Order: sequence, then structure tokens, then C-alpha cells
Amino acid sequence: MSIRRQTTRAAELESLPRFRETIDAACQLQPGIDEQTRYDLKLAVDEACTNIITHGYAGMNPGSIILALDVDALRVVMTITDFGHAFEPAEAPMPDVQAALDDRPMGGFGLFFIYQTMDEARYETTEDGNCLTLVRRLHPAKEE
Amino acid sequence: MDVFRHLRVKRQPDKIVPDSRGLSAEQLAQDSSWPITLRQVNSLPENAGKRIYRALIPPDLLARFGIDPVTWKGPNGDQPVRLRMDPQVGAVYLLVRQAASSSDNFLRLELADNVFNGIDLHLLVIHNPNGPRFDTDYDETGRPTLFGTARRNLAEEERAMQAGLAPAQVRVGLRASELVLRHLEAFLATLGHRAYFLEPLTYASAWVFERRGFAYVRGHKLMGDIHTEFQPGGRLYQALDGSTPFRQREQWRTVRGRAWAIHDGILSVLGQMWNGLRMVKQVGRHAGVETFPDAEY
Repeated sequence: MSIRRQTTRAAELESLPRFRETIDAACQLQPGIDEQTRYDLKLAVDEACTNIITHGYAGMNPGSIILALDVDALRVVMTITDFGHAFEPAEAPMPDVQAALDDRPMGGFGLFFIYQTMDEARYETTEDGNCLTLVRRLHPAKEE
Repeated sequence: MDVFRHLRVKRQPDKIVPDSRGLSAEQLAQDSSWPITLRQVNSLPENAGKRIYRALIPPDLLARFGIDPVTWKGPNGDQPVRLRMDPQVGAVYLLVRQAASSSDNFLRLELADNVFNGIDLHLLVIHNPNGPRFDTDYDETGRPTLFGTARRNLAEEERAMQAGLAPAQVRVGLRASELVLRHLEAFLATLGHRAYFLEPLTYASAWVFERRGFAYVRGHKLMGDIHTEFQPGGRLYQALDGSTPFRQREQWRTVRGRAWAIHDGILSVLGQMWNGLRMVKQVGRHAGVETFPDAEY
């Protein structure tokens, strides 16, 4: 059985704790989701929403961010929808995490964290907003 | 994993469908999820357009006033429903009166293609034609107030407020916005659209649209700030100082009270104005926004 939770908040940093609470609330209803997984889910949402807040809604009175979670025994699917400026796919490389601190560019690590902690990430912009879908598998072995 | 590897904001969003002036049977036979613009519908012969736009008005709302939902004829055989669909313009106007001779439309709905070929709801007015009228739409010299945005008729506004109306209303509502918006959404889904947009005229209308499932493209934070500052001790609460009939202390408690104070310009204490808000309704999804929890209207 799938558990669905959704919360819609203003795109401001003060909303991040509410998104974390929603993740916790959904995970509590699904047995077997460990602390590390919850931490990863919250980190990924924190990073994605921070990007939306600081870049997507830059220069405008911030609109909404909708976080929806679908949790079942096999996976957690999180969709983050916003209505600000869309992001553009680009060919720039991921930040070099091996580089010396002084040589690293500012920023870009939020995406790195997302890629490190999630099994899938999809981004699309359509008429009804920008939607980032993040998937974390809970028991990958069972799916094979 | 192939998402975006680098954050770069897209400054020029794409149109959801390319511009097209006409609508052919071949286009309709293509992928049915491909959105159709109002401009394309308006390019059809008038009766074909009427068949399509008829779905915008809830039949039971028309029946309530004895208007035939198919022919749009009134009980006296008159035509109280007017449809305007300009083939040169991507906009449609639906005006419904109790009788063709009535002075006011009780339903006025205006939709338009936006610059991305999505849909904007420009105007939705639904009021009870049998309720008392308040002439807030014209000033003392007879000039239109444009819903109180260009000029104001303070005496009529005060009477309207005392009678329980919200800013920009000339009569009490018909309690039919949920029904009308449900039909509008079904209509837009038929055309292949996934969302529609609007700019709320007043705080009260923004609150109503929140309850109908809308989220904010712009202004969610402002609505949150307004709620915070109307709490006792907040800057908007302090500005409810009785200096005008629209700034009485108890108004912080209700949606309408706040709406009248905002209409009266109280947001200036925050360095803000009521403009630039934009809302979006995703077809089939209720966003669950509630910027004034447990509100009393």
C-alpha cells in the first residue's frame, strides 16, 4: 500500500523545516525506512528547494513549492513542483569534489548531493510547472 | 541520471504549443494531449465555437434562472447569454444575465491565451442578481472605478462592506465559484491544457482561489507575510487604527475585513502594494495552500 503526503509552502528558506516534517511524517508510516535514508531524503529536498528559492524564484515575489511524497515498501518517490523560472539542462561538468578547496567553484554541490543520495532524478518543465522527481529505492534487491 | 548537470535559469520559456491561427480536422486527429488554443477555437465557425464553449457554463446554474442550457434561451424566449469569440484574438467572453433586459450580468467569464499559449482566466464575476446592488463600480461622477482599482466610490464601498460584501463586489456572491471552476477545469482538460492562471483582484479572491486548489506563481510569501502582520502586535494589526472606515481593529479576524483594509492601501506599511500576484491551478490537483489557517470569511 502506498502512502501519499503533500504540502505546499511559500518558496522561502523558512519553509524548509515544514518540508522535512512532511518527509518524516510520511516515513514514519512506512516500516523499515532507516535514519540514514530519511536523512538523505531530507538533504535532497533541502538542496532542491534551496535552488528553487534562490534561483528559480529570483527577482520575483516568491510563489509556491509543492512537495509530494509517495512511499511504499520498495521506494520513496518525491516530486517537487514550482512555478518560477525553469532550469536549463547544460553540459557543464559536475563539480570536482576531489579538487583542492581553493580550486573549487562556488556552488553546484547541491546537485552533487542529490545525485549521490537518490537513485533516479528527472526534471521536466510543462504548462503546469517545473517538476523534479526524485526516487530512492528502499529494497533494490527485491526489484531484480 | 540525466537531469540538469548545472543550474542555469531559462530566461525565455518555450511556448507550450506553437502559434497556430486555425484548427483543422487533421490537427484534431493528432495526439489528443496536444493543447488547443482559444485562438484556434475562435477560428471555427460561430456555431462550432458555441458547441465547444457551451461546456464552460454549468447547466444547473443556467437552469436555476430558467435559461435553457443548450439554446441559451431565457424563460421569455430572449437570449440572456452572450458569447464573444473574436477569430483574430485568442480570447473568449461569456456574459449571462437573468434576462436579456437585465442591467447586470450575474456571470461574467473571460478567458484568454497567454504569451506561452497557456490559458489565463482574466475575469470571473458571479453574483446573485436578486441581491441589493452597491454601486462600487462607478464613482460619484459616474466614471467606472474598474473594480476600485482606478478610483473609488467610498460611500458605496462602506455600504457594501457593512452589508458583508468583499471589495470589487457589487452584489453578494451566488456561492457558485466551485461549480463554475470545476466546469472550467473540465473544459480546459478537454482542450488539452494542464493548468490555467489568474491574477487575484483582491485578498478575498486570492483566499477563495486557495480553497479551490490554486497555488501561487508569485505572491505566496506575500500572503504569508500578510497573515503574520495581521496577528495582534503585527504591523498591519497596528495600522488598523480606525483612521478610515476600512481600518477598524477587529478587521484582522476575517478575510473580508483584511481584504477591505488591503483595498484601502494598508499594505503600504509593509512597503508593498496589492499587485503582481499570480496564481495557478493544475488541472486535477488541489495544491492545499492555506495562508490564513482556520479563517473566518
